[in-house]
Amino acid sequence: MTSIAKEKSGRASAREVAVWDPLVRLVHWSLALTILLNGAFVEEESMTHEWIGYVALGLVALRLIWALIGPKHARFSAFPPSPMRAVNHLGAILSGDRKIHLSHNPLGALMVYNIWLSVIGLGVTGYMMTTLTFFGVDWVEEAHEAIFAWLIFSVVLHIAGVAFDSWRSGVNLARSMVTGRKNIPMGSELE
Amino acid sequence: MKLWPWPAKTKERRATILAGLILVQALCALFFIGDVIEDLRVDGQLDGPHMVLETVAAVALVGGVIFLMIELRGLLARMSDMQTGLDVAKGHLADVIEGFFDDWSLTSAERDVAIMILKGLDNETIAQLRGTATGTVRAQTTNIYSKSQTDGRAQFISLFVEELLAGNDHLGELPPKVSTDRTTQHP
Repeated sequence: MTSIAKEKSGRASAREVAVWDPLVRLVHWSLALTILLNGAFVEEESMTHEWIGYVALGLVALRLIWALIGPKHARFSAFPPSPMRAVNHLGAILSGDRKIHLSHNPLGALMVYNIWLSVIGLGVTGYMMTTLTFFGVDWVEEAHEAIFAWLIFSVVLHIAGVAFDSWRSGVNLARSMVTGRKNIPMGSELE
Repeated sequence: MKLWPWPAKTKERRATILAGLILVQALCALFFIGDVIEDLRVDGQLDGPHMVLETVAAVALVGGVIFLMIELRGLLARMSDMQTGLDVAKGHLADVIEGFFDDWSLTSAERDVAIMILKGLDNETIAQLRGTATGTVRAQTTNIYSKSQTDGRAQFISLFVEELLAGNDHLGELPPKVSTDRTTQHP
């Protein structure tokens, strides 16, 4: 509170930027909850497991629509699925770059699409198991389990990535997914 | 620092509620769509009041979700415009203040003290915060007033208030109606 210069708007000063809108946050944590419930707590082959699966599918569908018509940071255009950018980003990290991405960083973007596709894959194979045509078919069940294993691996990687990037950029990413705001430290470059 | 996401501002609360409604309604829509598809698979036909009702409900829910999403986007856009405006205003006021300080060639200690005066702190509190004696602060404020050619705290602060009002000429003088209202309120 000693200096007004600290609050002065400008590139170099610390500030909070609203990034994640409430719908993005709700969908994120709801999806995390459905994965946790179905993965760890709810009995497989129960009706509850099926219903939670459909809810997860619905959440992803809702998020995909929001990525088309939602605000700037929630849109596909804010985090295009580009392996090229991800590789460049990786190089930038290794060379000590501390640029802050307001939306997902290029690696995080790939993880987002990966998790959405995995959940859709789980939902589709899970639904197939309830149909007469595919009930008891081995490869469907194996695919469901393989995708689940991949999803868990992805979630662990996702959490590690969030922890790493929070440390690297100084922006507490987990907190920003709760409050919707990113705390941009002094003197950081934005992208 | 507050982590609990329930926002204090009305607009942010509205946005959160809208988002929650969208989420719940989208899941309801999904339920009805799934039910229609399931019924179609079993019966293979789209007649009977039950099916018609369900289809109407599904369509209405999907339309509602899309509509709410567009509303939410509009609300978020308005909020972000407001924030930008506020930031600009804040930045400008800070620029104006810094500009005055430069004109008066205040020392960095005097700048700190001047800002605390603007924020409404008294000399004792300023001395405490800066870890100096009250006498030092008194000397610094005297310097600030003389450099800014004001006769004291009130006039010093009013310099900046004047600057804020400068852009709104109509606020400079009270309209006659307001002054009569005041006299009736205090007989």
